[in-house]
Amino acid sequence: MDAFKALLFASFIMLLPFPSPAQIMVEKQDESKLYAESKQVNQFFRRFNGEEDEKGKRYYPKDKQYRSAKLRKKYLGILFDEANAGIGNELKTEFVKKVLDNPETAILDFHGPNWFCEVLTTFTMNEKAQPVTLYMELEKDHLGSKWVIQKVYASMFQPYFVRDTTRIGRFLHPLSHELDFMNLRKAFVNSDSISQFATKRFVPDYLSVFLYEIKKGNLKFVSVENVKFHFFQIDGWYFELSDFNRPGYNTGWLISNLVKLNSAADKDVLRRYLYHETK
Amino acid sequence: MVKSKHLYMLSFILCLTGNLSAQTANISPERKQAIDSLALEKVRDLSKYIGIIGNKKTAFAEATRVMDRAEELFAPDSEMGVSSLNRKDVVYYKIRKYFERLMALNYDRVSIKWYEIHYISDLELQPDGRYVGVVTVYQRFEGESDDGLKYKDTTKKDITIYVERKKTQIAGRTVEFWDVMLGDIRVTETKV
Repeated sequence: MDAFKALLFASFIMLLPFPSPAQIMVEKQDESKLYAESKQVNQFFRRFNGEEDEKGKRYYPKDKQYRSAKLRKKYLGILFDEANAGIGNELKTEFVKKVLDNPETAILDFHGPNWFCEVLTTFTMNEKAQPVTLYMELEKDHLGSKWVIQKVYASMFQPYFVRDTTRIGRFLHPLSHELDFMNLRKAFVNSDSISQFATKRFVPDYLSVFLYEIKKGNLKFVSVENVKFHFFQIDGWYFELSDFNRPGYNTGWLISNLVKLNSAADKDVLRRYLYHETK
Repeated sequence: MVKSKHLYMLSFILCLTGNLSAQTANISPERKQAIDSLALEKVRDLSKYIGIIGNKKTAFAEATRVMDRAEELFAPDSEMGVSSLNRKDVVYYKIRKYFERLMALNYDRVSIKWYEIHYISDLELQPDGRYVGVVTVYQRFEGESDDGLKYKDTTKKDITIYVERKKTQIAGRTVEFWDVMLGDIRVTETKV
């Protein structure tokens, strides 16, 4: 690790200067830290896959170093949040081994499936600040691709969909159709109990509600608070990617959570947890 | 400014090389390098303009003229999204407004320096056929007023670049070239 930091620093020293007289250089040590930082998610991808040199210069398939085991091993050592004691060394080692033992398949693919972004935002709902989580994914469209909202979670919507399925509660009796459902009038009188008349299979779609409220002018965007990514691209593993803005060398986009998935069921449970899904 | 125009022309010529008729989705490494140079040139110009606008010795008329030049680097509707260590939520400014705020900062002496480091992302194809990339640079700001009030910060600037293949007529011939425009900029105060 120290040797690699030294290498990064040495590489930085060799960098060509930004050739403008107005751009006066500041402390070299600061720069070596910025150099070590995974500055963009793009750089995390490249480092994870072993697709760039220590100066950030991209390697292409024709280059000898491209995705080389040596390079990947070096980078994988610096791509974890070292301050997170929750990611044990044994687990890290097992994950790195999995990646290095499967060089063809353990590659992060920007345009591939099984990864998504979680964006924590603030909106105002009828003038009151409310957190809204947007789950984003890349979608192909026309000549290229774009980020789209795949799901939404907002705690402010939750109370509207709570229903107690354990008790009998209110219902429309099974011969209601014979009376042209005239009892619907009574069902809709009390808005608090309305969800009791929905099917057990009902799963609220917050994205629809979100779009509706925005179009009605009730929900207004304020700001993005936080961005992180969830990866299921490495077979049998999940990891979370977060941005760390702090002093030192272990900064930028780093693996902030790592979970070994022992079965498809594990993966499904985790996925639903991330989406705040209860069903 | 004249020097900058020469550099643009050089970059323009560099970008002309290669097979002009090939409309492939992928950009060759050589072409990518030429586009990166052009993008960095625009970022350097922006850095220079920010230095002039922020300099307290710059006359108002000159600062206004430089703001006009700086705005020309950007695609329409571009914004700056600014956050600080104390305030995580992002404040959004139109580019012009950001420059005007920079000019109006209440310091008697301002120093804007740029770290040597930069990082350029891959170029990704958008639905409209334009390429988009992000250039990351770092800036150190120091402001001091006569009554001894000092402020300094280091900010990371993630700058959107739009890359587009365009056509022009030169001596009756249609030639294609790659043009780079700057877009939204995310400004984050960083701890070094």
